[in-house]
Amino acid sequence: MSAAEKIDFGDLKLARPKPLADASDGGATGWRCWVWTTTAVVLMLLFVQLTTGLLLAFYYVPSADHAHTTVSFIEKALPSGSWIRALHHHGSQWLVLFLFLHLVELFWRGAYRTKVTRWVGAVVLLALVMAAGATGYSLPWDVRAFFSTRVAEGIVNGLPLVGTSARAWLLGSNEISTLTISRFFALHVFVTPLLILLVVGWQLFVRSSTRPYATAEHDCENRGRSTVKKTWRSSVLNQATRNVLTATVVFVLLALFAHKFPAPLGPSAANAAADYLPRPGAQFVWLYQTLKYVPGALGSLVGVVLPGLVLLTLVGLPWLDKTPLKLIMNHPRRNTGAVILSLSLIFIATMTLVSYVSDRRDPRTRKQLARQAAEETAFRREPFVPALLKEDAGATSPAALASPSPGISATSPPAAYTKFCATCHGAHGEGARQGPLKFPPLLGVAEKPHRSVDDIIGILNDPTAYRLEPPMKSFATKLTDDEKREIANWIVTLKKTQ
Amino acid sequence: MWHNNSSGSAPDRSRRAFVLLLPLAAIGGMFATIATAAFRFLRPAVAASSEKWIDVASVAELSGNKPVLRKVVAEKVAGWARSLAEHSVYILPGKNNQVLSAVCPHEGCEVSWRDDENVFSCPCHDSNFAADGSRIYGPARRGLDPLPSRITDGKLQVQYLSFVNNTQERTPRG
Repeated sequence: MSAAEKIDFGDLKLARPKPLADASDGGATGWRCWVWTTTAVVLMLLFVQLTTGLLLAFYYVPSADHAHTTVSFIEKALPSGSWIRALHHHGSQWLVLFLFLHLVELFWRGAYRTKVTRWVGAVVLLALVMAAGATGYSLPWDVRAFFSTRVAEGIVNGLPLVGTSARAWLLGSNEISTLTISRFFALHVFVTPLLILLVVGWQLFVRSSTRPYATAEHDCENRGRSTVKKTWRSSVLNQATRNVLTATVVFVLLALFAHKFPAPLGPSAANAAADYLPRPGAQFVWLYQTLKYVPGALGSLVGVVLPGLVLLTLVGLPWLDKTPLKLIMNHPRRNTGAVILSLSLIFIATMTLVSYVSDRRDPRTRKQLARQAAEETAFRREPFVPALLKEDAGATSPAALASPSPGISATSPPAAYTKFCATCHGAHGEGARQGPLKFPPLLGVAEKPHRSVDDIIGILNDPTAYRLEPPMKSFATKLTDDEKREIANWIVTLKKTQ
Repeated sequence: MWHNNSSGSAPDRSRRAFVLLLPLAAIGGMFATIATAAFRFLRPAVAASSEKWIDVASVAELSGNKPVLRKVVAEKVAGWARSLAEHSVYILPGKNNQVLSAVCPHEGCEVSWRDDENVFSCPCHDSNFAADGSRIYGPARRGLDPLPSRITDGKLQVQYLSFVNNTQERTPRG
């Protein structure tokens, strides 16, 4: 069976040398069909991220005074909370790993040539997932999150020309504040997931309807029917089954991993000590280590421009053959892609390894990191303490009811007012709250239409005539006419404060 | 695809049906795992008044037959937040220092004691209650709610509870 004969080039009319076709899309052997299931793993992980993120959003509050409390509540008090958060935390890192593998696998299949949209989509997805990870890291607002935000701030600030304003735009203010959390929250919870869903939706629905399956994939689909030797195993093992099985295995591993290793959570950012050594999430360790070698403003360039260039080149890979590169090499896309992917892989792996090794080697760093880990462990052991929520204290505090604020009224209220009206409208006409009901203040009512002294007497006699609703009731029989006039005369003297 | 393979023998088909169930079961298992965790995670919390005993008054200062108004500050915990709220209670020295919540059992306004008429009266809808808290007239469907109280070391202490509005029977909230 020769796959090269059956290949459907779609709308890309590209001649393809046979050996290359064999190397990439050629005869689907069993193990290759298994390698191709990275798509399913990525989709499963994306689904896990969306679901767990959605669940976390039921409790999380993006503000400097409640973010850490709500995350601690999820982590310590809620059933399954620690596991769900760990799934979300580790899942984001596994997602980066599997997306990278997916990219390598797509490259190996020559997708930059045969499936341009899928290739570009995968690179964009990798960038978005990295962005989601970077913004999400700040949200728990523990010491670790605070310092990682500081690192991001520093990188952006060091950019030439745009540094200062880019930093302010990122932070939402001239320094890290509760606005920064809101901003990172909006980016992490609305912007990146929306873009990710758009890319995935485009890949799943738009792309697949316009372009047929590549033959090799088709081969995996139909192994049972078209291959010569029809065995029981081959007849049931189509690609859908492989996809599900691989995704399940990865899910089970992730679930167990998340059960064993909860997501990190340290003391609140309010307790941040100056000597804290920040460490980024695993997917960013390589970048962090790189920045250590590049001083100052150059570091910002390397931190932003280097990953940007790598991603841009990967995105542009399908169009590279139209460039003069063709003059220097035979397969500019294949060569450039291979160089970039393998260099990235080597670079990322080396830097990550170097970072971990140097952290262990240097005694001072090791001691500090151990101390930070001990602090996190100690914090984790403390029971959850609910945060004190400030209630609208004015309504209930006796001081507010008892003493008039200066300027409310020149004279003290008539006795009849204090007896019949003060419970609802306040001792000095300032209004009050009774259980679920809020009663309106009387301050400044004389400025409104139909609130003359006579009108107020009329209201006391028959509030419904003035379209006032219960609980305001008639005092026609409870008050004497003199008392009504006395009350009305006093009420019109009440002035609005400020 | 599966339906194209209809030519197989009977045991072959059942075997295939069984193996088809495997991926379905795997997907179902993943969903079920997450759904179980989600159910446990999202199950509504009970916003409970803490069962702390709060000092209201020292027994020595309570005398006479008139209800005594006192304020208590009670803590309430809802999920990750706790809040303090001030509530009014009436102590009935003439009724063995029973403590009544000042919350009207009709719509939750705060009743006040009218000394001249010897009744508790609600400002919102005019429910009236006798000096022992029993209902006299008005839209309220039961008398004022007594609160659990005890005397320790000469101090009258109370547990602040709130009750469901507008019912005849007295059901604590939460």
